[in-house]
Amino acid sequence: MPLLLLVVAALLAAAPLVLPVFVLTLLTEALILGLFAMSLDLMVGYTRLISFGHAAAYGLGAYGAGYILLHSATPLPLAILAASLFAGVVAVGVAWVCTMATGVSFSMLTLAFAQLLFAIAFKWTSVTGASDGLAGIPRRAGPFGLTVFETKVGYYELALFCLGVAYVFCRALVNAPFGAVLRGIRENEAKMLSLGYNTRLYKIAVVAISFALGGLAGALYSPFAGFANTDLVYWLFSGQVLIMVIVGGQGTLLGPILGAAFFMLVQQVLSKWTESWALFFGLIFIGFVMFAPEGIWGLLSRWRVRA
Amino acid sequence: MDLLPFLVTQCLNAFSQAALLFFLGVGLTLIFGIMRIVNFAHGTFYMLGAFVGYTTVRITGSFWLALVVAPLVAGSIGAAFELGLLRRLYRRDASAFLMVTFGLTLVLEEVIRLTWGVQALQVEVPDLFAGIVFLFDEPFPVYRLFLAGAGVVVAIAIWQFLERTRLGLLIRATSQNSEMVHALGVDVNMVRSGIFGIGCGLAALGGVLAAPLVTASLGMAANAIIDAFVIVIIGGMGSFLGSLIAAVLVAFVQVFGNYYFPDFALAAMYLLMLLVLVIRPGGLLGKEA
Amino acid sequence: MPPRAGLTRRTILQTAAAAATAPVVIRPASAAADPIKVGMPLALTGPVGSVGGQLRRACEFWAKQVNAKGGLLGGRPIQLLIEDTGGNPATTVRKAQEMVERDGVRLLTAIAASNEALATVPKLAEWDAIFVSGDNGDGRLTGESLVPNFFRPNVSGPMGTRTVALWLRDSSLKSFYALGMDYAWGHNSIDVFKDEVKKAGRNFIGDVYSPMGTKDFSTYITKIRQSGADAVYLVLSGDDYNAFLSQAKQYRLGDKVTMLTELVDEMVLQATGDASLGLVGGSRYPNTLDNPQNKAFVAAWKAEYGREPYMFEGDQYQSCVVMQAGIEKAGSIEAAKLRAALEGLTVNSIKGPITIRACDHQAEQPGFVVKVEKDETGKPVPKVIATYPAAKVTPPCNKMTYND
Repeated sequence: MPLLLLVVAALLAAAPLVLPVFVLTLLTEALILGLFAMSLDLMVGYTRLISFGHAAAYGLGAYGAGYILLHSATPLPLAILAASLFAGVVAVGVAWVCTMATGVSFSMLTLAFAQLLFAIAFKWTSVTGASDGLAGIPRRAGPFGLTVFETKVGYYELALFCLGVAYVFCRALVNAPFGAVLRGIRENEAKMLSLGYNTRLYKIAVVAISFALGGLAGALYSPFAGFANTDLVYWLFSGQVLIMVIVGGQGTLLGPILGAAFFMLVQQVLSKWTESWALFFGLIFIGFVMFAPEGIWGLLSRWRVRA
Repeated sequence: MDLLPFLVTQCLNAFSQAALLFFLGVGLTLIFGIMRIVNFAHGTFYMLGAFVGYTTVRITGSFWLALVVAPLVAGSIGAAFELGLLRRLYRRDASAFLMVTFGLTLVLEEVIRLTWGVQALQVEVPDLFAGIVFLFDEPFPVYRLFLAGAGVVVAIAIWQFLERTRLGLLIRATSQNSEMVHALGVDVNMVRSGIFGIGCGLAALGGVLAAPLVTASLGMAANAIIDAFVIVIIGGMGSFLGSLIAAVLVAFVQVFGNYYFPDFALAAMYLLMLLVLVIRPGGLLGKEA
Repeated sequence: MPPRAGLTRRTILQTAAAAATAPVVIRPASAAADPIKVGMPLALTGPVGSVGGQLRRACEFWAKQVNAKGGLLGGRPIQLLIEDTGGNPATTVRKAQEMVERDGVRLLTAIAASNEALATVPKLAEWDAIFVSGDNGDGRLTGESLVPNFFRPNVSGPMGTRTVALWLRDSSLKSFYALGMDYAWGHNSIDVFKDEVKKAGRNFIGDVYSPMGTKDFSTYITKIRQSGADAVYLVLSGDDYNAFLSQAKQYRLGDKVTMLTELVDEMVLQATGDASLGLVGGSRYPNTLDNPQNKAFVAAWKAEYGREPYMFEGDQYQSCVVMQAGIEKAGSIEAAKLRAALEGLTVNSIKGPITIRACDHQAEQPGFVVKVEKDETGKPVPKVIATYPAAKVTPPCNKMTYND
C-alpha cells in the first residue's frame, strides 16, 4: 500500500511534464480542496466530531494569508505557514467553547461560530474587504529570492508538497497513541473518561490540528486564486466539505482527498455539459448513499479485494 | 412617532415574522425529534411551497386554495422521498441522511428552476387582507396581522394534534423511545413517513404565506434553511414549544436589532444562537443530544 | 493595491505601444475559419441567474447577427463559450481560467455579478485577455481597481446614481433618506448620492443598510417613514429589491414618500407588478430610444424573441457591438492590439454615439431617467421622463464622484 502511494505521489509530482496547463490549474485546486477535506476527516472520521463550520478554518487561512501578502513583504511560504498557525490558534478558543457540548449540539456550535465569523468578515471592511473580499493577492517571492512559486508548476508542486506532508503527519497522528484515544472517543467517550483520559483536551487538540491544516488549505487557496471572499466562510461551503468527506469515505484520510477532487471535477465537467448540472450532481450523491455507503474509498477497496 | 405606537407596531411586525419563522422551524424540529435527521432540504420545500402557491393562485385565483394545495404537494413529495429512499437508511449513521438530503436539495432546486424559470414571481396578497388598518394613525398592513393570527392558529392546531390525536401521541412516544413504540406493535415506519410529510408540508405552508412579502424566487431556499436551523437550534432540537419560543425570540431580536443596531443586523441572530448554546448546549428546551 | 496596478498598467501600455509598431503579419488563408472565441463564465443559476440569462440572450443574439453576415476579420465566426458559475466568484475565476488555458480564449464578457468581476480583473494580465463588461456596475472597476485589460461600455453604478441626482436637481423634492444593501455596491452608490444631494443644496437626512438576504423590511420602512423625508433612494437588487417593493406597497409607503432608485429594470417590474408603480430611477437602456440603430435592433430582437429587449439585454448588446468594432479596428483579438483599438474608440450604437475613454476605459454615454407607469394594457412599464448628456453623466477619469 505505501508503495502504491509513493508511486502515485511520484506520478503526481511528474505530472506537470505531460499535462496541459489548464489541467494543472484544476489539479492544484483539487489538491488544495483535498487537503481541506482531509483536515476535516480528523474530526469527523476519527473522533466523530461532526463540524458544520469547517469553512471557518479555510476562511481564517485564506483571509490570513491574503492579508499578510497584501500588507507586508512576507514571502509566500512564510505567509502560508503563519496563516495556518493563526487558524490553529483561533481554533483552540473555538474548540474550548464547542467541546462543552457533544453530538449534534457540538455541530450546531461550530455552525454558530462559523456564521459569526461570516458576519464579521462581511462587516470588517478594512481587514477582509467586506462583500468584495480581498482581490489581487500576490504570490510574493522569497525567501532567499525564491521565485518558483510564482509559476503555475511551482505552485502546483507546493500544493502537492503541503498535501503530502500533511498526509504523512495525519497518518502518523492517527497511528500514534493519540489516534487510538481519538478512536476511543469516537466509539465510546464515556468509557475513555472512565479510563482516566481527559477527553475534552484531546478533542480541543484535534480541533486545533484540524483547523491548522484546514487553514493551510485556505492559505494555499487565496494566493492561488488571487482573492478571498465571504463565500469561503459561508455555511454552504462547510456543508460541501462535509459532503466531500462523506462521499470520499470518512475515517480513511485518503478517501476525503478523492472525495474533494471528485466533487470539484464532476461539478466542473457537468456544468460544462449542461446548465442543469445540479440535477445530476444531486442524483450522484443520492446514488452514492444508496449504492456505495462506504464512499469512493470503499468502492476502491472493494474493487481491490476482488482483483 | 411616539413610543407607544412605535412599540405596538414593531411588536406586531415581530409577531408576523415570528409566525413565518415558526412555520419554517417547527417542521424541521418535528422531523429531527422523531427521525434524528438533519433535513438539508427543508428550505427547498419552503421554496417549493411558494412556487406551487404562485401557480395555484394563477390558475384558480384563490390564495386560500394555494394554502391547501402547496402543503399537500410538498408533503406528498416529502412522504414519497421518505418511503422511497430514507426508509432504507435508518440503520446507517447521520452522514447518510446529510448527503441524501443534500442531493435532494440540488435535484429539487433544479427541477423548480426548470419548471418556473429564474425570474422571481409575484404572489398578490388576497383581497380580503390587502388593506391597511390605522394603529395610532400609522398605517399597518392587514396581511401582517393575518400572518400573526395564522401563526397562533397553526401553533394551537399542532399542539392539539400532538396532544389529542393518536398519531400525535405516537409522534411524541416515538421521539422519546422508538424501540418501545415498535415493541408495542406500532408501525413506526408509518409514523416516520407521516411526520416527514407533515414537516415538509408545514415548510411549504410557510413558503406560500411568505410569498406575498418576498415574492417566489430561487434565492428563498438558501436563505430559509439557515433561519430554520437557527430556530431549531435555539429552541432545542425536537422541541415543538422550543421552536415556538425561538421563533418569537429571533423575530424580536431581528426587528428591534435592525432598528437600534442596524450595523449588527447580520451578526445578531448568530450571537443569540451562540449565547443560548453556551448557556444551554441542547437549546432552550432540548435535551442535550 | 492602487500603486501596483498603476505600475503594471504603465509597463503594459509600453508593451502595447511596442506591439503596435511591430510589422503586421499576414495570416495564412487556412486560419481564416478559426472561430473567435468569446468566454462567458456567468451566473445562470443562483441569485443573479435572471441577469445572467439576459446577458446570455444578448450575446447569442449578437453572435447570430455577426455570423449571419459572415463573421469578423475575414470570415472568422464568433463562438460563444457559455458556462454557469452560480454567481460564485471562486467558480468564475476557475471557469475563466480554464477557458483561457484550455480553449485559448482571449476575450471575456458577460460576467454577471460585480464581485465576480472584481475577482476576475486582477488575473487579466496573466491571461493576456481582454474583458469587456456588459453589466458590471461597481465604480471601482474603472477607479481604484482598474486594470489595463478591462473595458466598460455599459453604464456604471455611479453614472446611474448621477443620472437620478441630476433629475432631482430639477425636481421639487427637498429631503432624502437612503436604504442600501449592506455590501460594497450599496455603500458606494449611496456615497455618490449623498454627495450629489448636498451639492444640489438639498437635505440628506440619513441612511441605513440592510444585510443581503433581508426578508422583513418593516423596520426599514418604519425608519424611512420616521425620517420625514420627501424621497427615499433605494440601492437594492434581486430578491431584496422585490421584497422591499412588495412590502412598501403593503405599508402604502409610496403615498407619502417618492421612491428613487439607481436602476429600474424589467425583472423587478415583473416580480412586483403594481408595487413598482411610481418608482423613479435610472435606466441603462430604455428600449424606446429614437434612433435608427435602436429601431433596427428592437425590430430584429422582436422578430427573434417575440418581445422588446430588456435593459440588461440592451446594454450587453451594446458592449458586444463595441467589442466587435474594436476587433475590426485592431484587425486582431490580441490583447495589446485590441486594447489600443478600444481606447478612444467611438461607436454609433443603440444609444447613439458613445466613446470609450482612454483614461479609465469607461464609455461616455447619456443617462436616462424613467418612471414606472401603466401602459395601455395596464401593465407597469418604464417611461423615459428625462435624458442627460454624456458630459454630465460620466464621472471624471478614475473617479466615482463628480465635481459640480
